[in-house]
Amino acid sequence: MIEQIWFPLVITLKIAVLSTLVVAVVGVVISYVLARRDFKGKWLADILVTLPLVLPPTVTGYLLVVLLGRNGALGNIIYNLTGWSILFTWEAAVIAAFIVSLPLMVKTTAAAIEAVDREFEYAAFTLGRKELETALFITLPLARKGILAGIVLSFARAVGEFGATLMVAGNIPGRTNTMSLSIYSAFQGGNNELANMLVIILVVISLLSMAITAKLVNTWKV
Amino acid sequence: MGMRVDFRKRYYRKKSDRKKNIEAAFTLDAKFEVGDELVVLFGRSGSGKTTALQCISGLLEPNGGKIVVNGKVYFDCHKRIDLPVQERSLGYVFQNYALFPHMDVKKNIAYGLKGWSSEEKEKRVNKMLQLLHIEGLENNYPSQLSGGQKQRVALARALAPKPDVLLLDEPFSALDMVVRMKLREKIKQIQRELGIPVLFITHNHVEAFTIADKVVIFHDGRVQQLGTPEEVFYHPKNYHVAELVGMTNIFDAVVRAVDVPSGTVLLKSEEMLIRVKDSGLKEGETTSWGIRPENLRILQEEETGTQEKNIFNATVKSIVNKGSSKLIALEIKEHKKLLIAEVANQFFENIQLDTGNACKVAIDRSRVVVF
Repeated sequence: MIEQIWFPLVITLKIAVLSTLVVAVVGVVISYVLARRDFKGKWLADILVTLPLVLPPTVTGYLLVVLLGRNGALGNIIYNLTGWSILFTWEAAVIAAFIVSLPLMVKTTAAAIEAVDREFEYAAFTLGRKELETALFITLPLARKGILAGIVLSFARAVGEFGATLMVAGNIPGRTNTMSLSIYSAFQGGNNELANMLVIILVVISLLSMAITAKLVNTWKV
Repeated sequence: MGMRVDFRKRYYRKKSDRKKNIEAAFTLDAKFEVGDELVVLFGRSGSGKTTALQCISGLLEPNGGKIVVNGKVYFDCHKRIDLPVQERSLGYVFQNYALFPHMDVKKNIAYGLKGWSSEEKEKRVNKMLQLLHIEGLENNYPSQLSGGQKQRVALARALAPKPDVLLLDEPFSALDMVVRMKLREKIKQIQRELGIPVLFITHNHVEAFTIADKVVIFHDGRVQQLGTPEEVFYHPKNYHVAELVGMTNIFDAVVRAVDVPSGTVLLKSEEMLIRVKDSGLKEGETTSWGIRPENLRILQEEETGTQEKNIFNATVKSIVNKGSSKLIALEIKEHKKLLIAEVANQFFENIQLDTGNACKVAIDRSRVVVF
């Protein structure tokens, strides 16, 4: 039983941590651009980023399969270059988690950046600081509560990801059976004892990440 | 060296209006030239003062014209020069201070000292703390400071990188009277010491009068008058300026007669006849005249020759206490025109007026401004 718990736990955390790291970096950049820049087709970019939030995860998963499959636009290039087929690997699960959690990160972070008074940025400009420096040392630190909230939401979403992961990574025991997928399998197979353990662990992880965040935010004055 | 400013900035109701050549909803036409002195930009909110400051600083891009500060071209539409804010070497103090809330006072002040060694930074920050009398606050965060202290830190931060020009956008509007007065003195002193042009926005005319070397009056996006405080307050060029500088008694008039030998002109505002000094007016011409409320005289005793001296019988309609003085609304008996007089409390105690009382009011012709 310990092995039936240990592998899903490790693979889930690995997928969630990796996808959250990428979401944090990519999400902050996209959020800043959406919040502070005006460009043609901004509305379209906004819709594209938000889309996975409203699409059923199975649809997102299906579209990813089409894109990443050996005959898909992106999958084909990867296969020809490396001979590696990305579908049904844990890396595919990272991509699925990334896509479904990105809108949560961007929506939360963009709102936080928009809420930063532009006068702080103008003040930094008049003090000789360029936009990149200002973004890194003024705007983002002042939006950090929103950024952290986005990261926590994205992590939670990645840990709980089910539908899209099932589509692109399958539920291959010992390879891609994440916690959520394992709970489903255990429940289907009538192994209630295992399902209970997995559920308890997931609830504990979720509560811990919330508690740590709340503690951290409380020590921040701004 | 001072600064030379001559630019336009247009605002449209919709972005597409500009391409369609639809007239702009608001046009700022800023044109003035000042030296290394303390210049007050004065006008109502919405008159274009802040827009002017933002164009000079480079936070906004004008639609055309030229801005030169201390011989350095900041903006030139024809030569396609538009120096980025970062390279304009200016200190800007915002209305709400805009102190970085996540940095302590020391870090705030040092933020503009890019490329300085940590030793030089330390020295400069200490000098600024001393200059603005905020030693001991360096480790505090902005949320731990009073309004006056915040403003001092904002000034220190703006001055630390040794700017060529200092821009202040209604810096004292959120402060109480005593703190305001102290900081006004401080700004004046700093301007004298540094010898750089300082532009100071306010809509408070006491502030404009007490602090300025020069006043630039804005109304409806245009510079109406530029001059010393005495010039603009006592010799306003037009109706808008007169109203802005607190001339509460302004009337339209027609020239009835010009008496060249005595240098007197007789003006008629509806039923009211008034004699003023000849300023080259012609008979039949329409004009306006005004007198400041503190220049109206309320008379205690009978004076003779009332017609010649612009003395009128009046009734007191209301008395408003302003603290150190009183505003008295007077209705002239013959033609019901309303005048507002401002009387110092000390003098008011002597005349003992009450609402409904009758009195006499004198409009000294030497104090009347015709525009």
